[in-house]
Amino acid sequence: MSEIPGWVKALKPSGPQGSELLEHERNKSNIDVDQLSTFLFTREGMERKKRILDILQKEKVFDKSQNYFAGRIDRFETALARAKRLSQLQDAHNWTQDDKMVANDLISEPGPYGLHEGMYLITLRDQGNAEQHEKFLKPAQAYRHIGCYAQTELGHGSNVRGLETTATWNPEDQTFTIHSPHLTASKWWIGSLGRTANHAVVMAQLIIGGKSMGPHPFVVQIRDLKTHQPLPNIYVGDIGPKFGYNTMDNGFLLFNHVKVPHISMLARFSSVDPKTNRYVRPASPSLVYGTLTWVRSTIVMQAGGVLARGVTIATRYAAVRRQFQDRDAPEWEQGENQVINYTTVQIRLLPLLATTFALHFTGKGMMALYAANQKKMSQSANSGDSKRGAGPEETHSGSDLLADLHATSCGLKSLASSTAVEGLEMCRRACGGHGYSSFSGIGPWYADYLPTATWEGDNYMLTQQVARYLLKSARTVLKGGEPTNDTTSILSYFLKRQDQGAAFDILGSDSDLVSAFAWRASFLTFEALRHRDEQKKAWNDLLVDFYRLSRAHAQYIVVKNFYETLQAPTSELSSETLAIMHKLFRLYALHTLESEASEFYTSAAVTVRQIQLARTNAVMNLLTEIRPHALRLVDAWDFPDWQLDSSLGRKDGKVYEDMFHRAAELNPLNRVTINPYPDSPILFQNNDSASLKSKL
Amino acid sequence: MPDFADKLKPASPDGPSILAKERSQSDVPVDELAQHLLSRSDFLKRQEKILPVVSKDPLFNKTKQMNLSRPERYQLGLARAKKLRLLADQHGWDTKDQEMSQYLCDDVSPFMVHVSMWINTVREQGDDEQRRYWLPKIEAWEAIGCYAQTELGHGSNVRGIELQSRWDPKTKEFVLHSPTLTASKWWNGSMGRTGNHAIVIAQLLVPKSNESKELVNHGPHPFIVQIRDLKTHEPLDGIIVGDIGPKYGYAPMDNGYMLFDNFRIPHSAMLARYSKVDPNTSKYSKPANTAVVYGSLTFVRATIIMHARLIMARAVTNAVRYTSIRRQFSDRDSSDRSAPELSVLDYTTVQIRILPLLATAFALHYTGEAMHNLYEGTRAEIEKGDFGRLAVLHAQSSGLKSLCTELAANSIETCRRAMGGHGFMASSGMVQLNNDYLSKPTVEGDNHMITQQTASYLLKRMAAAVAGKGKPVDEVERDCREWLSKEHNRKMPTPKVLESDEEIVDAFRRRSRDQTYRAYVERDIKKRSWNSLLIQLRKISIAESQSILVKNFYDGVQSSTLSSPARKHLSTLFRLFALYTMDAEARDFAKAGAVSNDDLDELPFKIQELMAQVRPHAVSLVDSWKIPDFLLDSALGRYDGRVYEDLFNRAHRLNPLNEITFNPYYKNEEIIMGSGGGDVEKLLAKL
Ligand SMILES: Cc1cc2nc3c(=O)[nH]c(=O)nc-3n(C[C@H](O)[C@H](O)[C@H](O)COP(=O)(O)OP(=O)(O)OC[C@H]3O[C@@H](n4cnc5c(N)ncnc54)[C@H](O)[C@@H]3O)c2cc1C
Ligand SMILES: Cc1cc2nc3c(=O)[nH]c(=O)nc-3n(C[C@H](O)[C@H](O)[C@H](O)COP(=O)(O)OP(=O)(O)OC[C@H]3O[C@@H](n4cnc5c(N)ncnc54)[C@H](O)[C@@H]3O)c2cc1C
Repeated sequence: MSEIPGWVKALKPSGPQGSELLEHERNKSNIDVDQLSTFLFTREGMERKKRILDILQKEKVFDKSQNYFAGRIDRFETALARAKRLSQLQDAHNWTQDDKMVANDLISEPGPYGLHEGMYLITLRDQGNAEQHEKFLKPAQAYRHIGCYAQTELGHGSNVRGLETTATWNPEDQTFTIHSPHLTASKWWIGSLGRTANHAVVMAQLIIGGKSMGPHPFVVQIRDLKTHQPLPNIYVGDIGPKFGYNTMDNGFLLFNHVKVPHISMLARFSSVDPKTNRYVRPASPSLVYGTLTWVRSTIVMQAGGVLARGVTIATRYAAVRRQFQDRDAPEWEQGENQVINYTTVQIRLLPLLATTFALHFTGKGMMALYAANQKKMSQSANSGDSKRGAGPEETHSGSDLLADLHATSCGLKSLASSTAVEGLEMCRRACGGHGYSSFSGIGPWYADYLPTATWEGDNYMLTQQVARYLLKSARTVLKGGEPTNDTTSILSYFLKRQDQGAAFDILGSDSDLVSAFAWRASFLTFEALRHRDEQKKAWNDLLVDFYRLSRAHAQYIVVKNFYETLQAPTSELSSETLAIMHKLFRLYALHTLESEASEFYTSAAVTVRQIQLARTNAVMNLLTEIRPHALRLVDAWDFPDWQLDSSLGRKDGKVYEDMFHRAAELNPLNRVTINPYPDSPILFQNNDSASLKSKL
Repeated sequence: MPDFADKLKPASPDGPSILAKERSQSDVPVDELAQHLLSRSDFLKRQEKILPVVSKDPLFNKTKQMNLSRPERYQLGLARAKKLRLLADQHGWDTKDQEMSQYLCDDVSPFMVHVSMWINTVREQGDDEQRRYWLPKIEAWEAIGCYAQTELGHGSNVRGIELQSRWDPKTKEFVLHSPTLTASKWWNGSMGRTGNHAIVIAQLLVPKSNESKELVNHGPHPFIVQIRDLKTHEPLDGIIVGDIGPKYGYAPMDNGYMLFDNFRIPHSAMLARYSKVDPNTSKYSKPANTAVVYGSLTFVRATIIMHARLIMARAVTNAVRYTSIRRQFSDRDSSDRSAPELSVLDYTTVQIRILPLLATAFALHYTGEAMHNLYEGTRAEIEKGDFGRLAVLHAQSSGLKSLCTELAANSIETCRRAMGGHGFMASSGMVQLNNDYLSKPTVEGDNHMITQQTASYLLKRMAAAVAGKGKPVDEVERDCREWLSKEHNRKMPTPKVLESDEEIVDAFRRRSRDQTYRAYVERDIKKRSWNSLLIQLRKISIAESQSILVKNFYDGVQSSTLSSPARKHLSTLFRLFALYTMDAEARDFAKAGAVSNDDLDELPFKIQELMAQVRPHAVSLVDSWKIPDFLLDSALGRYDGRVYEDLFNRAHRLNPLNEITFNPYYKNEEIIMGSGGGDVEKLLAKL
């Protein structure tokens, strides 16, 4: 492409400049951005981010400008180069795991070491015994072993008990034979497996003396440590291009009667006694539930930030983008309206803005509960009270905090990740045509985030676990059991009051608003119980009700956490900021309430009149009141431009200049001149087109 | 490379036997339904004719294309588009045949705008001489064109575009000039690299008289401009033009940007069928009747809806076939521990996501048909300037475009997510489909914006009906009057939607009128500002559009001459679509007194019952859309059900990443195993 001529370089966007518009927006509000950021992330967290960002930005290999253009192979190759560099930097700067996570966040693409760091090391640590730590964990920590976590198969993902890979115990030579009997037994989706890993934790059905003991983890070497070629009778590769996540080599893996030694089976919780050939039972499965709960709480907290990226981009752009004059504007008023002033734009963006905070606080609340519970557990474990299992099915519900936490985390994971996924797409569409450009930064981010709705429990499937738990809790309450946790408390309250009804002042009182959510969740719980226990309806016929129930319960938890967070901090936030946060709370709660109006109405938590007032007055007023603070509120999320990688979401508002710069100067397609005429076989005049066909 | 994987089979039951069983349990007359759905313009016959030609040619092999970089995707798109044109010449394909070949190839072609907006605009807005001059060159693909309206700063608000076209009476030329960066054309398809001409929309500035310096702005007008040299294909002097970069989808399309620096074009460049500038007097004249564009816009929107139904059908075909084959968990209520696993389509949380969408594809069909029929039926009247019924349809078509493209766009993602992990594979066939189609909610009128047009029309008719002066101007006003005098005053019994299909239609109509009336009160009586009502206005447009979809579905099934099994299934689908839609908006129906509270409470159960009726026929119902495997390009939605074999084949044998062995150790600078280093430097050079 020829040089950009002077007359083009001289051009400016028309009308008020983006930077002026954003400055004006920021002047409308007196929210202390720094203070709010600190409240969200702590001073230490913000400084950490800054420190690491400085290092990354200096490294050419992390330059993002070609990410949106490259093909799959180049993207993977670059991602590997980045992952390596990042590990080198970690050594050089003595980064902690937390530091590295921040670095990954800033780079914002899944990397080929992702599952080694995220799952392989952790599984070895948590499920291996001392001997296994020595043999497997140490070389893994040194990155001589690079591993992955191979559970899902071509034929089974959700139903882990249905896995087909087998690990048969051979008493003669004290080995296991790992084998894939069918094509559907092929491991599939396994992150870092396709091209990167030389080891895997493989989940396989343990078979002893012809009897299946269910899925168990085995450490298996799959590639040669020198040549990186697959070992004999192992078939492994990358599964191909995906909706997103293309910088990751999700892989497949097949075994043809591969023998591994006794030490391969991770033995902290269960093992095969090599002398007696007997299976030794798991000690305490509750720890496994613990990790799952922790992982899901993390997803909830991250969902707030994930969504906030989209909201930041869309809000800033909507303040810069101007389209049409106001229809009712007086004659003399010149200039077009910022699209953020249109209520159909506000109703899409501002409730999402409120949601980002709601999810963030909820995730934080969950993690705190989890930590408190872990502490309690380790204390009671010491005192010998560790008999109780932890899964919702094994426990006496209502008496176990972990069970409550576990069920809650399932419902929240489902709600939070679905909300973030849908919210991001909503933000993208709210940006009109430019939202469709990769330079919006929303589309690629959305594509990489999407699988969160599927992994760690498919969002629809998970809701059955929540429902199962709520039904059990309801049964205990019906039997007259004393409330022992939040779930049983709200259910008992509902049961006592259901005949008097509730008169929640949802428009006047914030705590009543929370109670209305509790009421509706309780109502749906007892409805579901009636269907299941009295009307004896089939489980499968109730799945949709369960889904709604779980959603209602999770929304209650979010509203409650948001509310409680704002009750607590008096000194950390100025009163102006706190007032806006209260408005955001009400916007989240009332907007959710009116979108699910019929459930609130049917449960008699609110009246039709209240819903109508919520919709036409309260929500509309909140939009108007929050509108002037929108810019500063997204600023508080503190995303560096480098992380957003978005023309539309630039902090300085130079939207159009950046779009043009990327299109005209960074775009490799503009370096070729083409031949457009059908009868000419030439495609790119300065480029070889024959090579293309070989790629098909 | 033979290996032990070659001998492996999926665990049983395998896909083919599952689909065979599904197909044998259904009495859906697949071919009859296919004829019923796909006869317009011989769609099915054309598909049968073109498919073998295109699918045989290796250039159209789709399986690896998702690995390519953006420049490669464009290059491939260009190669394919050229090839399709050569094939058309060779086989004597007409325009509709060529559209079919395009549809099957499934690339957003770099020539897409050339064969649609470019040629159509010249045809419709060029005067006789312009048409005589341009059309042959366009048809021969010598003058390759695009349509440059949208700019960096303006899309929805066309009146706000900034590019100027100033009439210079001295030289009798127009001067095109971009005064700002935001005046840059942007998003214009086929322009970035492909086109050598463009229809450019610019503000027409004409001096008050030949002598005057004072310019009068006559608003946006279309000009034909040559933008690149016909030999070298380089941009002409005074023009900057290029591709705008990668997008969410549309990879083979070169949407472009363009700037002009006092670029001169002749008088003949202005498309002059309607408005013109007299070259001698510099007098501007404009058409008496601006409604002439109604016809073609309505036609375009009917086409969008007919396309939307095929998009939905395609998404649902993949989802229904795969979720029938996919098995996960055995029934919880079964006491038999060794019971086989259930097909995930048997789970009601999977059904509720997919089956109403299956019904919706049919719903869109009948409205698309109705719009086409009306357009064709009234063409003669339009030529005479009598817009009558078409004017109503035109007003309604904005809302329909918005609702139908929104439904179709969302359906793809809903289906994809219902397919679990494998839905995320490019080989699901859902990824490119989603990414390309997601442009539709924005293009041809942003969905959140254009609903205002329908709402505005409805408000006017309601206001006129309230005033009640003279004869109603159209059928909507007539109906508003009737509603005001009867239903509004609760003089009619509440429709019994669970008993009669006809009353379902009536309930939708009543709810729409009620919503309009409420908005009318807010706007006209309480004088609320337009902006404060936007959310409500959007709702009344949706209510009206849903009412139209329901009515056309009902009428379409009633008036058809289908066999009784076909009618039976269509009626079930009608109810599923209508009641599912009603349930989602239940409160509106209650408020309008259009459905009783008892009936509304009953809806979720009724919907589940209807889904249970559709479930055994789902595979056959999607079969009747006859989407060929070549178009689906999906391992999950294949007609023969060989899901796992195909997933594995594509991953294992058709995946270029697996041809490379990487070096994973971070202390080693090699990225590719055995390269001896220097890989990072090569990568850096590309960044
Ligand atoms: C990008 C990505 C990365 C991944 N990384 C890894 C990894 O590193 N390691 C690993 O082991 N796995 C990994 N996975 C796999 C992931 O964990 C599974 O895809 C996930 O658990 C969902 O399972 P599935 O694909 O079998 O979905 P399915 O269970 O097949 O779901 C299909 C549909 O059936 C429904 N359904 C299933 N069962 C029921 C039921 N009982 N009731 C009602 N509805 C039901 C679901 O809701 C869904 O709509 C990854 C997946 C992705 C997309
Ligand atoms: C893939 C693709 C291909 C395209 N091809 C072409 C082409 O070939 N030629 C061409 O000329 N153009 C083309 N376009 C441009 C397209 O027509 C515009 O993007 C479209 O009209 C939307 O306008 P916009 O981008 O200005 O959106 P904006 O109007 O900027 O929308 C931004 C937001 O503001 C809201 N908004 C705007 N105005 C109002 C209002 N009055 N009331 C309430 N809300 C409002 C919208 O709902 C949206 O949420 C293409 C676009 C895409 C994505």
